[in-house]
Amino acid sequence: MVLVLALGDLHIPHRAADLPPKFKSMLVPGKIQHIICTGNLCIKEVQDYLKTLCPDLHITRGEYDEETRYPETKMLTIGQFKLGLCHGHQVIPWGDLDSLAMLQRQLDVDILVTGHTHQFTAYKHEGGVVINPGSATGAYSSITYDVNPSFVLMDIDGLRVVVYVYELIDGEVKVDKIDFKKTATTTHSAH
Amino acid sequence: MSKEIVKEVTPSSSAVAQAENRVFASLRGVQWRINLGILPPSSIDDLRRVTADSRRRYAGLRRQLLVDPHVPKDGARNAPDLVMDNPLSQNPDSTWSQFFRNAELEKMVNQDLSRLYPEHESYFQTPGCQGMLRRVLLLWCLRHPDCGYRQGMHELLAPLLYVLHIDVERLSEVRKLYEDQFIDKFDGFPFEENGGAYNFDFKKFSDSMEDEIGSQRNSKKVCSLYELDPEIQAIVLLSDAYGAEGELGIVLSEKFMEHDAYCMFDALMIGAHGSVAMADFFASSPAAESQSGLPPVIEASAALYHLLSIVDSSLHTHLVELGVEPQYFALRWLRVLFGREFSLQNLLVVWDEIFSEDNSPLNKVSEDADHFSFKLLSSRRGALIAAMAVSMILYLRSSLLATETATSCLQRLLNFPECVNLENRIERAKSLQILALESNKASLLSAFGGAYNCMKSPSSSHKISSDLGSPKPAPTPLPDSYWEEKWRVLHKAEELRQNSLGKHATSGKKSWSEKVKFGLLRTESAPSPARKEKCKKDNHSVRRNLLEDLSKKLGLEDDAVKGCCFEASNSDDHHSVEVQGEEQNCANKRSICTAENRCENGSGAVVSEENSSIFSDPSSPPGCGINDHENDTEKSSVTSNLSVDDNDDHRRRSPEDLPHQVPFPTEDVSRSPLHENESSGKTSSTKERRHLSGKFQWFRKFGQSNVSEKTSDKRGGNNEAAKPPIFDSKSSTSCTADSSAAGASCNSHPTSKGDTVDQNMMGTLKNLGQAMLDHIQVLESVFQQDQGQVGSLENLSKNNLVGKRQVTAVTALKELRKISNLLSEM
Repeated sequence: MVLVLALGDLHIPHRAADLPPKFKSMLVPGKIQHIICTGNLCIKEVQDYLKTLCPDLHITRGEYDEETRYPETKMLTIGQFKLGLCHGHQVIPWGDLDSLAMLQRQLDVDILVTGHTHQFTAYKHEGGVVINPGSATGAYSSITYDVNPSFVLMDIDGLRVVVYVYELIDGEVKVDKIDFKKTATTTHSAH
Repeated sequence: MSKEIVKEVTPSSSAVAQAENRVFASLRGVQWRINLGILPPSSIDDLRRVTADSRRRYAGLRRQLLVDPHVPKDGARNAPDLVMDNPLSQNPDSTWSQFFRNAELEKMVNQDLSRLYPEHESYFQTPGCQGMLRRVLLLWCLRHPDCGYRQGMHELLAPLLYVLHIDVERLSEVRKLYEDQFIDKFDGFPFEENGGAYNFDFKKFSDSMEDEIGSQRNSKKVCSLYELDPEIQAIVLLSDAYGAEGELGIVLSEKFMEHDAYCMFDALMIGAHGSVAMADFFASSPAAESQSGLPPVIEASAALYHLLSIVDSSLHTHLVELGVEPQYFALRWLRVLFGREFSLQNLLVVWDEIFSEDNSPLNKVSEDADHFSFKLLSSRRGALIAAMAVSMILYLRSSLLATETATSCLQRLLNFPECVNLENRIERAKSLQILALESNKASLLSAFGGAYNCMKSPSSSHKISSDLGSPKPAPTPLPDSYWEEKWRVLHKAEELRQNSLGKHATSGKKSWSEKVKFGLLRTESAPSPARKEKCKKDNHSVRRNLLEDLSKKLGLEDDAVKGCCFEASNSDDHHSVEVQGEEQNCANKRSICTAENRCENGSGAVVSEENSSIFSDPSSPPGCGINDHENDTEKSSVTSNLSVDDNDDHRRRSPEDLPHQVPFPTEDVSRSPLHENESSGKTSSTKERRHLSGKFQWFRKFGQSNVSEKTSDKRGGNNEAAKPPIFDSKSSTSCTADSSAAGASCNSHPTSKGDTVDQNMMGTLKNLGQAMLDHIQVLESVFQQDQGQVGSLENLSKNNLVGKRQVTAVTALKELRKISNLLSEM
């Protein structure tokens, strides 16, 4: 029963001032075990805030991040799942499933988390899941102005992961759930 | 979930039950379950049925309370409300919130469990056992959210699980010894494992020898169930898989140990409608029907000390003197039922005894204030627990009496020696148990209060003060002590304040009585802090007012000032003075008061001069002031008495005019405050009153004695030519008389501080009244002699007072008389 928070593209302070208050009230320390952040925070204060929610914090570098030492991609194992993290501006076309699947195969992960498009998407693809948590602050992107704030919470329990999507639509928090079960033996035959 | 607590049937009720009880002597688990009220002491079938029921209940509880948020609740399968049921939901009703709360609780429980019985870790630290303990504790705490989990509950549960485990081991032993009894008996026929269903053997003759031998062997084992020991018989029947309720009814079952442990734990904690419920000992707040208003464990510790005081009062007083409160060690003893004091085996023996006692309350916990009975002692089981504790204390008697510090006493009590003769202790405990039960019926509040005076002192002091509040008119002739007077004065002052607290928050004009009291109050040291804080500001302002007013009056100035800071030195003294209920305002009174206060504040040297000067200006303002006294309550009368006393002193000492205002005999006042300061420490604000009247007397006496020395010189400087010698002599005589009395009373005051008896207070007040009357008479006689040339006074030959002063003096005297009458009426 591991709770993993996935969020990103906050663009604080350039495009947004802070997380929406309703989101902030939900994010209390003590419940979440890991945080993975796709990037574009952009400043250190945001990193400090996220650290107060959970000490185990993983960030990859987005193009506007002021901290230059974040890695481009990151891989971690939680429970039975392998997670991959990348900002996504490196993968072109931005947000394209096939290209992202290529990255997923490259990193050899079950769950790939990327951002940059500021739109929430979740695909089940080839025995894995590709998740885009969107922008947690609703900051505008180079593609669109119409962005709903959103983030993702993953509940990893053995071979099963439940993905809860939190979106702020018209001032109300909407929650959705996606179940995903990993098959017991998934071996990617490397050739 | 309703728990069926089967009422314990007393063993004597049925022979069967008695037989059963003896039968289970070696099966502690069953025996304890019977004693705790879970199982009925009746037939085997009943035992099995009740066991099965309790196990079913537990299973249901477990399914209900152990929350798995992944499993959707029944009925919510179709449309789970994700907004509420997501992991980050702040909604306290959501399953996830429940889950997180349970996780918190489990963390706490785990902390304790990991440290449970490290010396027996082969059993207690095994994951299976730990898991069982954890689940039982979790479920019990979830079921009883008001109690929650407290450290120590795990130590109560562990021995219960252990005895169940022992029972199961015994069962397996018996199984090995009496294998044949445990063979599956479907239809009542014993089917041997190896043999066929039919013993009939076709090979008749050649096998007959073998058969014989075989049957001989068999016959050794196969004996009827009913030929066995009753104990073994019971064990077999209890574990028969085909008895009542089938497998669920097997009373000694490893599979259902958790269920049984939960039932036992619950019965122990809740107490099964008895007097002793262990859960109470973990509560930190007083029980609803508690008489003493203390948490139950504190009350139970008091019960221990109460019993100890009956049994061995010298040890009890020794412990109380050292300041060893019973709950320092009794908390641990009671909460874990001596689990930490004895080894596990010994503990089982002790618990055998404790559980075998009945837990039903023997007498209703009475509601009288006079008859206080301890909840712990009101059942046989509770009385045995208390008696056991006392016998343990008595075991350490010699070493406890030898120690001189509380810490070493506690060390000995908390490290109870291992190798103790348990039978002796238990025997002693049983003998004390009777005593405990008896004592509980007749215990008085005083006994309880004796052990807990310190704890209850704020409340008790309030109680006492309220008792003594109403002044009883019964006169007692002796003024017992200065302090008692003060106490009564203070108490009246406090009553006044409480009565009229709301009225005069802002008014600067305080009553005469208040001011006088403030002036008089000096060293009251032990009023409740709350009162002190409340009164501080009032006192300051009042004192200022008093002083100003008095000074003005005396100096014939206008009464308008409000900010004199006369009280700087004595402010803390006056803090104890309650803001008196604002009575009628008498500017005159106030002025006199302020003069007094000023006296208090002033230095000695100044005082002496001022004394003389004041003496010269006695009458008119005080007289006017005194006129108003008639209407006042007795309190104001007291104060006016005080003022009149002042006037008395004034008049007596010097009839000279004082052009300016001077504080009155500050010397007196300063002396008496000093005196009081030294001996302070007891008076509460309720002593204000007594203090007040006492002070007046002091003033008079001291002032006279002082003045006689000092003013004799000053008199020369005064206008009065004829008067001084006379007044000197008069005052000196009266002074000497007074001062001797004053000296005597002065001496007596420091000694008798502790008295707060109401009668003493009244007596002192009466005494004051008498003294005042005497003085008044003396003065009057002086005046009369002056005016009417009547030489009635025994001591003196009289000269005339200066005429106008004489008039004022006479009026003042009359006032004084009235006041003293009032005072003596009190």
